[in-house]
Amino acid sequence: MKLLTANRLNDGRVIYLGEADAVVESIDAARLLDEAAAETALALAQSRPAVFVNPYLIEVESRTPSGRDRLKESIRSTGPTVGHSLAFARNETA
Amino acid sequence: MYRYDEFDAALVRERIAEFSDQVNRRSSGELTEDEFKPLRLMNGVYLQLHAYMARIAVPYGVMNSRQMRQLAHVARTYDKGYGHFTTRTNIQFNWPALQDLPAILSDLADVEMHAIQTSGNCIRNVTTDVFAGVATDEIEDPRPWCEIIRQWSTIHPEFSFLPRKFKIAVIGAAKDRAAIRTHDVGLQIVCGEDGETAFRVFVGGGQGRLPHIAQEIASAVPGQSLLAYLTAILRAYNLLGRRDNIHKARIKILVAAVGIDAFREEVERQYEILRLEDLRIPEAELARIQAYFTPPPFADLPATSPAYDAARRLNAEFARFIRSNLREHKQAGYGAIIISLKPVDGVPGDITADQMEVVADLAERFSFDEVRASYEQNLVLPHVRLEDVHAVWSRLRKTGLATANADLATDIIACPGLDYCSLANARSIPVAQALSRQLADADLQEKLGPVRINISGCINACGHHHVGHIGVLGVDRKGEEYYQITVGGSPDEQAALGEIVGRSLPAEEVAPAIARALDRYLEIRAEGELFIDTVRRLGADPFRTAIYEPIDAAA
Repeated sequence: MKLLTANRLNDGRVIYLGEADAVVESIDAARLLDEAAAETALALAQSRPAVFVNPYLIEVESRTPSGRDRLKESIRSTGPTVGHSLAFARNETA
Repeated sequence: MYRYDEFDAALVRERIAEFSDQVNRRSSGELTEDEFKPLRLMNGVYLQLHAYMARIAVPYGVMNSRQMRQLAHVARTYDKGYGHFTTRTNIQFNWPALQDLPAILSDLADVEMHAIQTSGNCIRNVTTDVFAGVATDEIEDPRPWCEIIRQWSTIHPEFSFLPRKFKIAVIGAAKDRAAIRTHDVGLQIVCGEDGETAFRVFVGGGQGRLPHIAQEIASAVPGQSLLAYLTAILRAYNLLGRRDNIHKARIKILVAAVGIDAFREEVERQYEILRLEDLRIPEAELARIQAYFTPPPFADLPATSPAYDAARRLNAEFARFIRSNLREHKQAGYGAIIISLKPVDGVPGDITADQMEVVADLAERFSFDEVRASYEQNLVLPHVRLEDVHAVWSRLRKTGLATANADLATDIIACPGLDYCSLANARSIPVAQALSRQLADADLQEKLGPVRINISGCINACGHHHVGHIGVLGVDRKGEEYYQITVGGSPDEQAALGEIVGRSLPAEEVAPAIARALDRYLEIRAEGELFIDTVRRLGADPFRTAIYEPIDAAA
């Protein structure tokens, strides 16, 4: 299966296409797409450049990135694996 | 340090107004990403894995406390409370929103900073010896020349659309502390035949996919003719450099293809037809620029300080910091302090807003309001009285900035890698962290002496792995991170590219492998011999064996 991902125009954050064409930040909320739906989703994202920057499709197995770029996509979905942004995220939630 | 005149200030403000308009047009959808990308890149804005990234220029690495405080303000207000110093002595913010970028640039312009030419196929931030104006072996302070090159190259109409990016570094001593031979052009100040300032010029260095060490093109270009000679080089490159293949577009490829002698002839041909009168640096202008870099009002001090000597005797931890992080100053009674941004388990080059403010305070109070960024991704307080070093150290220690490892094995240069960068194949930071834990023992590090370890997350080599004494390059093997190790690289006046020692290793094997190579060095070194000199004497073989023998035995 596939997911549609991009960076969001206004803040550059990683986004996915969710259910009912919603824009979601969590890969867990992304809509799983078969081949036909994937092409439609890509066309939809490309038609919304005010939100989706550089939209593309990634391969997943039940929302876990599985293609050649699986590590990159996994890091995109969760953020840097190390460093100060993690502490920042902890403070934000606290 | 240099202060903006009305032209600099107006230029930076005009650029922000222009970029602000571009950002608005991008936000409204008037500009597509394809149209906007070259415009944002001209203002140092990238789109990375997780967000936009803003790269701010720190011209030749020199900052004052006001600037450092403003960087802290930007980090706190618009970002996630930290920044990252790069191997080009710039600082990067990893999380700015698109609409905040004009405000960020405006706040930075308030303290005479900008992001112009931190990206794109133009002349990038000029770098220099972080100990400029400090080092005892210096012929002349290179910073005025860096400033002259900065002014000449800023929005230079002829050189704003080169075949590829172009990096220049300048040094003022025979000892190369700015890696000039890894640059497109490296400049070394020498004494000309007439006793005046001249430049030994190297051209065609660069790292990345096809690394080259720069070759000497001229032995003594008179200072007055420096801009003319640089113009001739850039013009030759602009005309002859390849634009059909991004991987072959750097000047290093051109110089290697035609040969240094043919390239020199072409540069000389260009030089002959230049309007030299337009490019000669007027003496009054040189003097005006140099005046910005006159030494600060040093006190007349004895060469030693009893309080400092006593503190060293009484406090082993402080003594260790002095041994590793204090450098000799040409002014008696002063020293330069390296603030390591490489704590054990840290992110090389990262600094929090709180730490920036501490550094700003220390620079203001103890170092004539000056702080420098080094290409090794550390900071330097260039002019500290020896009697104040203990107070500076105490404050650094409280804020986690007193790691005593400058130039030692855990002073690792590393790019952001796949944790941030959209070009990376593999992560760099976790490998650096694993290495820093593996080699954390301070006694061991001192025993090993100076060893430079460099890590890049892809072949673009932002972590300068080719010229690390030990280099680590992340590669992607079918979606898994692997790391190729090189040995014997050197960034200095004996510049050399490292030799790949064998097949790439999975992440968890890298730190132990490098530790074995360093252990082998301790076994085989001659009395007093540095790691790199042992490699030069014996080649890579002993280290190859140390790295692979146990792995092969286990296989």
